[in-house]
This record gives sequence, structure tokens and C-alpha cells, in this order.
Amino acid sequence: MLWFELKKIFERKLNLAAMIAGYAVMAVCVYAYISQATFYDAETDSYVEGTGAIRLQKERLNALTDTVSEEYITDMLEKIQRSGRDLESEEGYKEVVRHYGDIFYFVARNYTDMKESYLDNNVLMETDISSGAHFYEQRLKKVENFLNDPSANFKETEKQYWMKKAGKVTTPFRWGDITVMDIIRELIGVGFYLVFVIIICVSSVFSSENESGAASLLLTTKYGKNRLAAAKTTASVLFGTVYLSVGIWLSVGAVAVLFGFSGADLPVQLWNSIIPYRMTAAGACICSFAVILLLSLSITLLLLLCSAHIHSSLTTLAIGMAFMVAPVFLPNGRINGLWCHISALFPVRAMNFKDVIKTILSYPVGNYVISYPVMIVVVYLLAAVVSLLFINRGFVRSTN
Amino acid sequence: MELVLDRVTKHYKNKIAVDRLSAVLKPGVYGLLGANGAGKTTLMRMICGILEISSGEIRLDGEEIGEMGENYRELLGYLPQDFGYYPNFTAMEFMLYISSLKGLDKRYARKQSMLLLKKVGMEQEIRHKIKTFSGGMRQRLGIAQALLNDPKILILDEPTAGLDPKERVRFRNMIAELGKERIVILSTHIVSDIEEIADWIFLMKQGQFLAQGTLEELKEHYLEVTGNDGTFNLEKLYLFYFAEGEEEDVMV
Repeated sequence: MLWFELKKIFERKLNLAAMIAGYAVMAVCVYAYISQATFYDAETDSYVEGTGAIRLQKERLNALTDTVSEEYITDMLEKIQRSGRDLESEEGYKEVVRHYGDIFYFVARNYTDMKESYLDNNVLMETDISSGAHFYEQRLKKVENFLNDPSANFKETEKQYWMKKAGKVTTPFRWGDITVMDIIRELIGVGFYLVFVIIICVSSVFSSENESGAASLLLTTKYGKNRLAAAKTTASVLFGTVYLSVGIWLSVGAVAVLFGFSGADLPVQLWNSIIPYRMTAAGACICSFAVILLLSLSITLLLLLCSAHIHSSLTTLAIGMAFMVAPVFLPNGRINGLWCHISALFPVRAMNFKDVIKTILSYPVGNYVISYPVMIVVVYLLAAVVSLLFINRGFVRSTN
Repeated sequence: MELVLDRVTKHYKNKIAVDRLSAVLKPGVYGLLGANGAGKTTLMRMICGILEISSGEIRLDGEEIGEMGENYRELLGYLPQDFGYYPNFTAMEFMLYISSLKGLDKRYARKQSMLLLKKVGMEQEIRHKIKTFSGGMRQRLGIAQALLNDPKILILDEPTAGLDPKERVRFRNMIAELGKERIVILSTHIVSDIEEIADWIFLMKQGQFLAQGTLEELKEHYLEVTGNDGTFNLEKLYLFYFAEGEEEDVMV
């Protein structure tokens, strides 16, 4: 039964076209991420592009330092401040910013307020280093300032939760080149487009049986009212999981073949120092993959639920597409506001794992605080379970 | 085996599709005759258990069919009036798919499928995709799938639609044969089909049985009412009952 249900999914021309298009998008993304990589080599005063840029960047960044120690940052800031350059000017960029590259932005971001959307390079010129850089102190202060912002209205339990979590992160950070892991994480995020393909393919799983009239026949068979819905659901979930996993792992595999998994053991804080989770880049990529799989599974089941109840493939497809696309155009809402909490759970935001782990957002329930990533897992698991419970009912009643 | 329809009713909001129908069906061929919208398909779908009954009951050997669940569906073979075949499936794949839904063992399903496809004259098309089939071929495939589980209750909605005269005769004979051991309920617009094979005829109009009985009983009643000279066929009877102004409830 399962084989026949899979056959139905794979034999629709629209599905096949969408599957090929989805993988083509992934291939283009792999090519674009690699070919568009650029690195300025201060030693030769030249720009390198493509695979060479990624390899050279890895070599140069790893050679800078092993750890982001207070001494290293203090020394770095001293040198920067001694240059006396306006770091926003072209001259300042060429002589200072470009020379340091990634570590400059990493440090500058640490000294920039969380609410600032624009990174002012000169923040490092104004930082008081008379008694040291206090890099990690500044990191915690930055989180604390954000939590204490009166407009954000964080509860005491939330403040305590986040400060405790941010304080538990291992410091000083290990330093190295995290570019390859960043590309891998981005490619996992591109799996978002593959979810569109899954939506196209599963939106007709139940409704096409109603549209063609086959449901009348299928439901009179011995297993038509129970095992059939289970077989259809299993086939859809299996298809979605395999299609998404293969697409992502082929892309990740291509990157890994070229560059290995360099930077896998580096902390996620190198993406953004405020990230309050103790996690390596590899761990973050695995979590990102797990989240996208969960979301894909949940969206698949929600779509099957619609397909079983609505009896129209087109309407089901429109609902699926709207669920994925419409939130892109919706505002994020006030920091820590109700809408902010809701909109953060839409797939378009929940699938961007880097943003998820750097967003300090929580869902307080009494004295408990549910962090944003955990809430994503809870909501989508719940949606999946509820959908699973009602799919069969919708299909069985579809002929009434 | 006894299938009992006990005041079976189906209504949609204000419209009554089937109105308090009662009948006791034992093995044999039962023909449902009526114009479009008479309630034939609705009644058949309720007997199949795919349409909820608004009121009344359908029982098989004393047990309500809804409660029997799988045990009832296991005994059922159904050919819907219009249903979607899977265009990219071959005839054999379609038969095996339905077999898996009917819970048949794989080896038995393959053997039974071959046998039935041969029986409906489709042995040459076993590996051909359904999208290449004519309407008649699809109908024959539909009949074959209905017989896969050797059903004890066979419900055929317009089984001869789309078949050429030669095929129709073949299927009439097949249905008559099947009716010897099982309950066969068929609906059709083609009066002669019913005339040839139905042991019992139900004339339906506006969700009700206007008349029912064997062909002989219906003939006697017709002649009695019309005082006709003796030339009788079911078509005349049909026109008699379905002509304007002739809506009296007649049971024979």
C-alpha cells in the first residue's frame, strides 16, 4: 500500500517538475555560496575569490589566535585606537578594518548595543580600554541592557533565565575560521525552498482522491477507512523527509568534499558573541537540520489535514504557500511583544536557526521560561500530533 | 445472508435524497431503476457505508453495518458510477493496489487479478497504463476490481455504462451468475439490462420506492391498473410510473 502511495506522489508531472526545480535551486545555492566567497589577503594586498578565498581565509584566521582572550582583544583594540583612523572612512577601512577582517566585526559587534541595527566600526575607537577590554563583561552587559530595556518588558524570571544561560557559555571563546560551517548552516536553511516542493507534492495526497471520485471506491475497501490514511500519511512523511534530507546532505556533502568540516568544533558565539547557548558550530548545524526536518514534518501533516478535510488540491496548496510566504511580509512586532512571540514561530523565521539562537526571546509560563528554540519544537510537535489525530477523520468523512 | 434496509433516510439540510426506504435483500440480483436524482446512488453509497445515514438502519444478518466496520467492508464489492482511475498505473498495478486495500495476500491478489482481468477480456492490457484505456475498458477494469475479494454483497452503479452491446450482454450474464450466491444491487438507466437479469426490481423516484417486485409481479400490476391488452415491457412500466401526474405510491 505504501509503495503505491509513493508511486502516486512520484508519478504526478507537477510533482516531478517541482522536485527537479527544488534540487536545481539547491545546486545553484551551493555554487553561489562557494563562487561568491571573497577574501582580502593582507599579506599580498589582494582579493581572492571562490574556493581559494575560503581556503586562504581558513589559513589566515586560524593563524590569528587560538582563543579570544581578554589580552588579545585589549592588544587589538590598543592597536586600532593607536591608528587614530576614522574606521567608517575608506582609509580607515583599508588600513585597519580590512586588515583584521572577520575578527574586527566580531569584536565591534560585541561592543554595539543589541537594538542597533547598524554596526558602527568606530565603536572600537570609543571603547575604554584603560583597565582592559573587558570583552566578556561587555558581552553579558549587552544582554543585561537588552533585558532591562523598559519597552521590552521582560519578566524577572526571564531576565534571570537568560543571564544564567548567557553566563554558562564557555569563555574565552576558541577562535578559528567558521566560514565553512556558516556555509553549511546557510545551505541547511536553504532547505526552506525544498519545503515548498514538499507542499506542492503532498497538497493533493487526499484531495485528489476526492476530486477524481476515487475516494468513494477506496473507502469501501476493508482497509480504506483506517490503514489507507496511515499509508498515505507515512508515504508523504517519508517522501518529505527523504527529499529534504537528500537535498540538504548532497549540498552539505559538496561543501564538505571541497573544504571538510573545518570549524565544526568552534563555538557558535563566533557567529554572534551574545548567543546564550553552549553549542559548537557542528552542533548548531545538526540542530538546524533537526528543526527544519521537524518543521517540514509538521507542515506536511498540517497540509495532509487540510487535504483530507478541504477536498481541493488547489486550496490546500494555496494555504500551504500562504503559510510559508505571507509571514515574510508581516512585521516582526515590538521587542518581546505578543505579535513578536507569535510571528517568531512562523516557518520563515523558525527555519533560520542562526537568528533563532541569537534571538533572546522566551515564552514564560508561570514560573517556567520556555526558550524560543524549545518553543518552536513544542509548537510544531503539537501541530504534528494534532494533525495526525484528525487526518483520518477528515478523509473518512470526505464522501458525506 | 440477509441485508435489511430499515427506514433508511438521507437528507441534506432541507432536501430529502432518500426517504424512509425499507427492504429485505437476500442473495439475488436487485435492480434499481429511476431517473437522475431519484436517490439510487445515494442509497447505494449508504449501503456501502461511505455516506452517513440521517436516520434508520442498515443491518447485515442482524448487525448494524457501521458497527461491523472492516468485517462488513470485507464482504463488499463496489463499482462507483464515476471514479478516478490512476492514469499512470497499469491495469495490474491498479488491481494490486485495490487488493492491498482489500487485505488480500500478495500471491493470491496477483493470481486473482490475472483471473479477473482475463474474465473481463483484458488479459492483453495487463501491463498497459490506464491512461491509454477507452471508457469501456476502464469500466471493465472497474468491474474486475469490484470482484477481487469475492464479495458477498456486490454494488454496481451503472455497470454497463460505456460498454458496447456485445460487452453488455457478456456482463449481464456475468452479473446474473454472480447473483446466484450473493446480493447484487445494480442501478442503471438501461431498462433492458434490468429486465434481463434482475430478480427483483425497485422503481425509485424522489428518494422513495414507487414500486418493487419481480418482473412478473410488476407486469401483473401494470396490466391490472392500465387494463392493457397484454403487451408489456419494463420500459412501458417505467414510463407509466415516471410520467407526469403519475406519482402515486404503488407497492406490488
